[in-house]
Amino acid sequence: MGASACHGFVLHRHDYRDTSLLVELFCVGRGRLPAVARGARRARAGGRAALLQPFQPLWLELGGRGEVRTLTRVEAVGRPYALAGRALLCGFYVNELLLRLLGREDPHDALLDDYQVALAALAAGGDLEPVLRRFELRLLDALGYGLALAVETATGRPVRATADYVFEPEQGLRAATATDDPRACCRGVTLLALAADAKPVDAEQRREARVLLRAMLAPHLGDRPLRTRALFQQWYGRRG
Amino acid sequence: MSERALLDQLVDALRCLPGVGPKSAQRIAFHLLERDRAGGERLARVMAEAMTRIGRCERCRTLTERARCAICADPSRDTGLLCVVEQPSEVVAIEQATDFGGRYFVLGGRLSPLDGIGPAELGLDRLEALLAEGGVRELVLAISPTVEGGATAQYVAELAAAQGVAVTRIAQGVPLGGDLDALDSGTLALALAGRRAF
Repeated sequence: MGASACHGFVLHRHDYRDTSLLVELFCVGRGRLPAVARGARRARAGGRAALLQPFQPLWLELGGRGEVRTLTRVEAVGRPYALAGRALLCGFYVNELLLRLLGREDPHDALLDDYQVALAALAAGGDLEPVLRRFELRLLDALGYGLALAVETATGRPVRATADYVFEPEQGLRAATATDDPRACCRGVTLLALAADAKPVDAEQRREARVLLRAMLAPHLGDRPLRTRALFQQWYGRRG
Repeated sequence: MSERALLDQLVDALRCLPGVGPKSAQRIAFHLLERDRAGGERLARVMAEAMTRIGRCERCRTLTERARCAICADPSRDTGLLCVVEQPSEVVAIEQATDFGGRYFVLGGRLSPLDGIGPAELGLDRLEALLAEGGVRELVLAISPTVEGGATAQYVAELAAAQGVAVTRIAQGVPLGGDLDALDSGTLALALAGRRAF
């Protein structure tokens, strides 16, 4: 297999040997894949180490065969998404989700578009939480774990704005009963807002959406906790 | 047979050095054994002593065999100026290249959320305590300009701001002797944005 070019992003990078970088990429038509950038940390590498960073849209040429490709050329496609503060941590969180949930070499071009929309929204500032919730939903959809949020999963009955619902792993949404923990419940109005891609109107809706998405992601993330979530809690007290 | 094994062990041990592969390790081992036994013995002695005695400075976390490093113990250094760097090697680089007269704090890395390196791993509680003691009027961020370095700098800056300490960051721009058109666009943009009166 010869060299091939694609657009993509660096999700994460590590130093490799003395002068190289090992990068985990998310590319158009390729999905997530690892590549090595030989000599990228040398002073004379022409700023490759500066380019090969998260949140920088890239044009990449990959050569080699086998599991880890060799990065032969890299160029910037526009400026990096300028994330700072909470938005930067949110960006790391999104990258960690992709690293943990995407299989290697499984193309997800629509999700890559959603990823760029999310980065642009994070960089624009403003309300960060709805951006994360929307991306989490799109990610679950792309992986085939998506759920219709406007109906009860088992019965197909439409969700009513005034009722309470609970998410059960492998079963989906069902109407809440008196024995359910109220903190794990989600009001119908929140579900309908998420389904319609509408912004949350109050703090309680934000909390419910966060708890719901966390529950929906949890079975796929396994036992290992998300590291960015831990850092977020250390940094800002709580919330994630 | 056992001598052969010892030579193998030496070659193998030398491979822990950065940039030394099997071939170089063999070359170094033969050189020391055949041509420079005294040098080899000295290396072994100093290496053993360094590995057991060198620890971290209780104040700035750089490498030293004393409780406090020479810089922290030097009464002529400006205690009001604190430079935060990632690695002990950067302390040496700044000391050799500049006339910076303040003290340092060595993080030992940078915040890397995806690798699980958080504030605790970087001794940032120690830095916070140091700032709380008072006496520092300016904290200089000398952290590498990567996305993760940016997150680290921001965290440190928030710590310092909470203690009422002024925060500065070393300049970013065109390297000496560099050509503008060979520069990556990010650095060039920063260089232009950070221009100053001539």
